[in-house]
Parts: sequence; C-alpha cells; structure tokens
Amino acid sequence: MAVNPTAENIIEIRDVHLWYGEFEALKGVNLTVKQGEVIVLLGPSGSGKSTFIRAINRLEEHGRGDITVKGIPLTHDVRDIAEIRREVGMVFQQFNLFPHLTIMENITLAPINVRKWSREKAEEIGMKWLTRVGIPEQANKYPGQLSGGQQQRVAIARTLTMEPEVLLFDEPTSALDPEMVKEVLEVMSDLANEGYTILAVTHEMGFARGVADRIIFMDYGRILETGPSDEFFENPKHDRLKLFLSQILHH
Amino acid sequence: MEQPNQPDISAAPTQYVPFWRDGRVLGVFGQIIFIIVMIVIANTLGSNFASNKDKLGEIHCADGSVDEGYRCAYDFMQANAGFDISETVLPYKVEDSYWQAFYQGFLNTLKVGLLGVILTTIIGTLAGVARLSSNWLISQIALWYVEIMRNIPLLIILFMLYFGVILAGPDLKETMQPWGLPIFFNNRGLNFPWPQFTSSAGIFIAFLVLGAIQYQVVAIALDRREIRTGKSSNKARWGIFSFIVIAMIGWFAASAMSDTEGLLVTKASRIREVDDIERIILKRADVGLMSLVNDLPKEQLAEAALTVCVLRDSPSEVNFISQLRNRGIPYSITRFDRPDQAVAAYGEGKCEVFAASKSVLAAERVTLENPTSHLLVPISETPVVWSVPAFEGLNIAGGSKLSPEFTALLVGLVLFYGGTLAELVRAGIQSVSKGQSEAAQALGLSESQRLTLVVLPQSLKVIIPPLIGTYLSLIKDTSLGLALGFSDMYRISFVTINQTGQALQVVILMMLVYLAISVVFSVLLNWYNAKYVIMVER
Repeated sequence: MAVNPTAENIIEIRDVHLWYGEFEALKGVNLTVKQGEVIVLLGPSGSGKSTFIRAINRLEEHGRGDITVKGIPLTHDVRDIAEIRREVGMVFQQFNLFPHLTIMENITLAPINVRKWSREKAEEIGMKWLTRVGIPEQANKYPGQLSGGQQQRVAIARTLTMEPEVLLFDEPTSALDPEMVKEVLEVMSDLANEGYTILAVTHEMGFARGVADRIIFMDYGRILETGPSDEFFENPKHDRLKLFLSQILHH
Repeated sequence: MEQPNQPDISAAPTQYVPFWRDGRVLGVFGQIIFIIVMIVIANTLGSNFASNKDKLGEIHCADGSVDEGYRCAYDFMQANAGFDISETVLPYKVEDSYWQAFYQGFLNTLKVGLLGVILTTIIGTLAGVARLSSNWLISQIALWYVEIMRNIPLLIILFMLYFGVILAGPDLKETMQPWGLPIFFNNRGLNFPWPQFTSSAGIFIAFLVLGAIQYQVVAIALDRREIRTGKSSNKARWGIFSFIVIAMIGWFAASAMSDTEGLLVTKASRIREVDDIERIILKRADVGLMSLVNDLPKEQLAEAALTVCVLRDSPSEVNFISQLRNRGIPYSITRFDRPDQAVAAYGEGKCEVFAASKSVLAAERVTLENPTSHLLVPISETPVVWSVPAFEGLNIAGGSKLSPEFTALLVGLVLFYGGTLAELVRAGIQSVSKGQSEAAQALGLSESQRLTLVVLPQSLKVIIPPLIGTYLSLIKDTSLGLALGFSDMYRISFVTINQTGQALQVVILMMLVYLAISVVFSVLLNWYNAKYVIMVER
C-alpha cells in the first residue's frame, strides 16, 4: 500500500546513540516515519535493529539524540513515556503472554488498567480482535494450552486491543515452527493494508518484498541503506548489503 | 501370515540381569530397609518412654484413686494454677486451673504468631521489592536490612529490642506522646486508641455475620439473574450496600435493646439520668460550659470531678467512661476486683456513682444499709465504643496496650523473618522472565501495575513453598518469648512443669499443640498454593 506523500510524520528520530555500558549499540540513527508507512528492518544479528525499535517505546533508554512520537518527545518524563506507550504497541519474538492469565484476561489487562475501560467494553473489543486473528474460541484457555502461532496471534490481538497507531514487531516469527509462520504473516499483512504504521524487524523476505513501503538495512549500529522494497532487492548499493542479501537469498 | 521382516519379540533372548543390579528389586529392597529402621526407632523410643513413665511414680486421679494406666495422666491440670499471668487475651484469675493458664498461653502464642505472620508478609514483601528497586538508596537500605537481619541470631535481636530499645525508653513521667496524638509510649508499653466491645456487642456481631451471609446471598441471586436475563449488575456494590444496611440495623438494635447497664446513685445526688451529671458538675464547678470546666486550675478541677467506682475491665467501665470522656465530664475513677468491695466503697461515700451491669447493681443494692435511698439509673450503650487512652493520675487508662515483652517479641520476629521473606520475594520476582516485564511495560502498565498484576502473581509459584516453612518457623519461634518473660504457651508450660513436676505430660501436650498449629497452617497454605497458584500455570 502506497503511503500518502502528504501524510504527517508520526515518528521522528534524530541522531540517536545508545550505549550498553561501554558498548555503543546505536551510533547515530536518523529516521522519519510517515503515518501509515510500513518499514522492515533488516540486518545481521547484533546490528542494533532490535535495540533501535525497542528504543522507540523506551524498553531501551537512548543516551543521546531525540526521539519524537506523535509530537511527544521521549525524555525521562514518565507521563510522556506512558503516553507514547499507549500509542505504540509491540509484539515480541517470545510472545510474552502472561501465563497466569487466560487469553481474554491477557487481552483486557492493559485496556482495563491503563485505558480505564469497563470490563464489558474491554472484552467486547478484545473479542473483536481475537476474532480478527482467527481464534475467538480460545478466549478462556491459558497461553500454555495454545500453539506458538496461536500465542503470537493472541499477542497481536492483545496489542491491538489497546488501539495503538504504531506497531513494532520484534522478529515476530523467529520463534515459530515453519508451518505457523504463515498464519502470523497473514495477520501482519492485513494490518499493513489497513493503514497501521508498522516497524518490523524480520527475516521474512517475502513479507519485506510484498508488504513493506521501505526497507532499512542496519549494521554496526548504523543505517547503511534505505529504499523502496523493489529497488532495495534489485539494486543494492552498499557492499555489506550485497553480501547480506547473497547470504540469505541463496538459501 | 508370516512376516519375516518383523523380529519376533517374544523369541528375543531374555538378557540375564543379576538381582543386585535390577532396579525393581533395588526399589523394593530400599523400602524394606526403611521400614525396618523405622520400626527399630519407634520400638526404642516406645520402650524408653514406658520405662521412664514408671520412674515418675504413681499418677493420682482427681478423685484420689491411683491410676494404673494413662487414664488420669492430665488430671493434675485441673488444680489451681496459683500463678498470675501478666498479659492475657481473655480474663484470667490466679485461682483458675492449669488448663485455663495453658489456654491463655496458647492464645498468646497464637496472637503473636498470627500478627507476626501478617506483619512479616507486609514488611518482607516491601523489602523484597525494594531490594530490586532501580533507586540506589532504596535498594541499598533493603540490602543492609536483609543482611543485618540474616546475620544476627533472633534471640540477640529480641534482647536488643527489649533491653536496648523498649526498657531504655522514657519512664512514666517522661511518657512520649508523638504529635499530641492519644498514643503514649514509655518503658511500660505502648497505649493507643482501640475499639472496645460493650456487653451488647454480641447482638451487633450477630448482625455483622448476618450481613456477611446476606452479601453472599445477594451475589448468588444477582448471578442467577444474570444467567437468566443476561443483565449484568455490580455484585460488589449491591452486596456491600446490603451488608451496610444490615450492620446499621444491628447497631441500632443492639443500642436500643441494651438495658443491662446502670449506675447506682444516692437519691440525694439528684442524678436521675446521665444528662443530669453534666448539670451537676457545671453547678459544682460554677461555670457555664463544659469546655470551660477543663480549663480550671487542677485543685478546682479535682473538686468538681465526678467520683466513680467500677469493676476492673468490665464492659460497664468501658462504656460509662467513654460516655464521660465524650461529654468532657471530669472524673476520678477507682477500680475494684469484686462487686462487694466496690459497693462497700460506694456505701462509705468514696464515690458518687457505681457503674456496673444492672443485675450486679440490683444484687449489691440490697446489701447497703438503706437500699431505698439508692437509685438504679439506666445508661445507654453502643455495642462498640472507641476507647481513647488518657492519664488518670499516674496511670494511663483506656484504649489498648502493648506490653514491652509483647512488643519486643512481635517486632523482633517481624524484623527477623521479614529479612528472610524479603529474600524469598526477591528470588520469586527474579524467577519471572524479563520478557514478562517488557510486555507489561510495552502495554503501558505503570511500575506498580507491572509488579502487582504481572510479576508478583507469577512469582508466587516460587515463593509459596519456602514461605510455608518461614511462617511455621516464625510461629514456633514465638517460644523465644520465654527469654523476655512473655507469657506464651512455652513459658506457661515451663512454669507448670516447675510447679507440678509433670514434665512428660506437659511437654507432650505442648508438642501436640505446636504440631496442630503447624499442620493447620501448612494445610491452609498448601490448599491455597494448589488452588490459586499452581493450577493457573498450564
């Protein structure tokens, strides 16, 4: 889906550096994301792509530079952090469902406690999303009783019930059995077509080619190359990217 | 049909295993050895017990006959204990039996144990969470607290608190009263306001129980309606509403029905109802308003004060004194242990009114010289009065009191086991994966919501099993109260053994009671663990 060129900038990132102790994981990252844009981040392991999207909702704290989400600057102001986290949903590699709660309780926990919705409203909207991801019949089970693909779809429904505008996916299919990858990618593609702003770290090249508006290649904590998906794969410029693509595409 | 490709299992040669390497044989053999060892131990203990029991000499029954077996082993407990207990939950007199004394000790043990468990849970959880705080100062304080408590023996902590803090506190003349609140601290203990039951409390409590039942009934009824009509309703709100209504009815019913309390006054005093007292005092002090009376100089105030006789710790004392206090009427009070002493003092004119239950007053009035010149004035009462401590001469009366021994024991146990529990809580929290916290944060939950809704419930799985052991240790360690002179079950047993020489019976009794407390506790906690903690993890 093409992005409206006049769309507003929803995320602005300027010269972001991030350190883990002495180690500099991000070395000056710049990125502007428009409303409704779908971006896939590629890169070898340790390139800083996960760290980068985790900095956007403050799971990692950046040391220098500015991150602005919907006009709200990300600082130490806990109210702003809370505000940003309400607008930015995240789906993890390991699902991170709460094992002591049922599927429906997992989904309604944050809407009830953060958005202060009534239980009825939270369950209604939660059920709507659970139906969207195709597993409404699992609402009263516990996460441990579901397959990996189902758990990841619950995690997506849990995130969407909070009604965020931006979705962050951190390798959402990496922990799944191959036959379950497809069901999760289908849900992600649907969301991309519906106009959600998406930043996804993934190794699924099919998804990157077919759905992404823009692909970003990271290594050594920097963005090395960025471009529209077709151009990116057909005509890579950076040597590091050429090597990376030859390694993953020839398998 | 023959299937040559498939090996015939039954025809496979059975490999010979020598019996000393056969796991099945070894398993059975191990159990047999264990049973033999147990029988030998039980037999040794049993014969030892029997021979020692013979050495103790004859056991005399309460009726004077000699006991051949174990029939009258505990009859000695029916005799008068003859010692006083400084601090009891229920009324106790020196003339009560050893059974009574033991029971008071048991209640004191339970009181310290249960309060200790509740407070330890609070302190330990806070300290455990603080240990992991990202705030350096808070986590360091928690770390030092845990390390200090873990590395000092409990007995030394108790001595430190008792001799070093509480007994070294201010004496009676220098009683501390923080911020002018009605809380008094000195080396005789801590007095603080506390609700006290009067004689009509029974009716009120019955209504409270009724209200609790009604709460359940309402919840079930609304559930049924919801299933029938699909209309959901706020069960908690309606349940609490009906509970409050019933509790209020109970309060007024108890207040209205109580006509057991009264005052004995002389006709000449012109007191016909409680309101008269106020007028008489005003007149005596020669001022217009009750608030002005208390501003009078000390001697004048003492002259104006109402002199009251009561029975020590009776409901009438609590009720009448709280009424006087609420009206601001100055009084001086004399307490008696027996009604005849009180009425004698009243007869001699030492006090203007004698407050007690009506039946006591009616019985005692006839012993006075001229019964018809004395009146019985009814006084109202509420089921519960808020009793506030205050100085009465040199003593502090009213409210509730924590003795130095009880306070030192409770605080010591809570601090010590709070340190142990803090480590359990920390381990439990750290057992929950980091991804759980990240998911909670990404969903926008606040720090406290993350902890209470996501992390702590999951950490219970790790915390509860060792927690049961910690609670049981705490309850058993209440026996260290012996060292401080707190009258717990162990101390009472100790005194009983010294006085009667019946060590064997008393020790067995004590062991059984500790065992019973422990079993009840661990059954309850294991039930909780199985029902709420393990089941939800699938």
